[in-house]
Amino acid sequence: MTDRHANPEDLQLYALGALEGDEQLTLKAHLKTCAECRRQVASALQSASLLGLAVDPVAPAASVKQALMARVHAEARPATTQKVLVPARKKRWGLRFSLGFAMATVILALATTWLWKENQRHRQEAAGLRAELDRVQAQAAREGDDLRAVAEVVSAPDTVTVTLQQQAGGPPGQAHVLYNARKGLVIYSGQIPPTPDGKSYQLWLVPTQGAPVSAGLVEPNQQNGTVLVHLPQGLAAKAFAVTVEPRGGRPQPTGPMVLVGALSS
Amino acid sequence: MTAPMQTTPDSTLIEQMMAGDEAALSILYDRYSAVLFGMLLRILRDRQAAEEILQDLFLQLWRGAARFDASRGSLSTWLLVIGRNRAISRLRGKMNREVTEEEDGDYANSFVSSQNVENEARRSELRGTLNAALNKLPSEQRQVLELAYFEGMSQSEIAARTASPLGTVKTRVRTGMQSLKEMLVGY
Repeated sequence: MTDRHANPEDLQLYALGALEGDEQLTLKAHLKTCAECRRQVASALQSASLLGLAVDPVAPAASVKQALMARVHAEARPATTQKVLVPARKKRWGLRFSLGFAMATVILALATTWLWKENQRHRQEAAGLRAELDRVQAQAAREGDDLRAVAEVVSAPDTVTVTLQQQAGGPPGQAHVLYNARKGLVIYSGQIPPTPDGKSYQLWLVPTQGAPVSAGLVEPNQQNGTVLVHLPQGLAAKAFAVTVEPRGGRPQPTGPMVLVGALSS
Repeated sequence: MTAPMQTTPDSTLIEQMMAGDEAALSILYDRYSAVLFGMLLRILRDRQAAEEILQDLFLQLWRGAARFDASRGSLSTWLLVIGRNRAISRLRGKMNREVTEEEDGDYANSFVSSQNVENEARRSELRGTLNAALNKLPSEQRQVLELAYFEGMSQSEIAARTASPLGTVKTRVRTGMQSLKEMLVGY
């Protein structure tokens, strides 16, 4: 199948989730390399989804939307990562990561940002820019939440520390992750050479079961800005990894792993 | 007041979500939640499980808005594909289907679609046409499509359930899907 297109029947069975065993594995492998068959399976998925569209709509309870919006509001923004700005400082390559240092820099950065926002707020009040004031207040509140979240993760007894090491043949680098599964929070700090044009580094949580979960994009030199990532709570991780992906990232890893770190069992 | 908001294109609402606009998510939820919940209930027959999946689906949309290319795939298709796969995973306990969920979502997002169901009247019209088309299908073709889509049965399970050879099941899927597509030309 790798040198010819997939059987249309198999594409339709796949779209309905009815293909199985070797046939499914062979088709999935073929789809990774064949743009025409990916287009065909996308078309088949759309046709199959018409079956779902044919079902009479049923309004869910109002409480579902209320709970959703509360969760969204708590996360405060759609992106999976929240970059916490830390004042730029020179760092030697290979400087060992320090939990205390990470917490201190993050808290300092957040406090500085908080104060700046407060200053902004007062100036805007004077100018009567009510709408801008509301926005800044909301931002400040979110950063206050970030500050609390970082402090909780660093101090929690069930937070684990993972060191991500460079891979043979890959670029040099190292990163560190603090992960609290109960809270669904990840703190990342690391250093890797710049990505090639059109590429991004993406951090992944590799769960003990199931597919990797994206923890968002990370910068090549993230030690000047620690990243706080919100993930679903309760994900049991066996490793973290950084891969090279097309710019903007992908829902699942497609590129080479440049940093990997396993959780000690 | 709500009429102009309901006609805001999905692509615009997704851009607004990327900028952190919770109201945009609220509009998309109002637009698609009943369609999705109906489909999830039909699969799961469990209101609580369907509500959980519905909420997680929109949370995933909120978190991953930046990765959805609204200029290409139809959002309704993406939501239906991911939601349906997730419901079947729950129904059948196939945790490894998560991988397929994400891949299928990618494929669905890569298909340039002319299908526009952003308007309720348009959705309702399409639903009527779809049901008429399904009713025109020979019962054995409709049965294999429904066993696969709503019960998550594999081709061999469908063959066993319908006491038909595997080759017959494949043929019925192909002809059923093809007929549906032909009856819905223009949508």
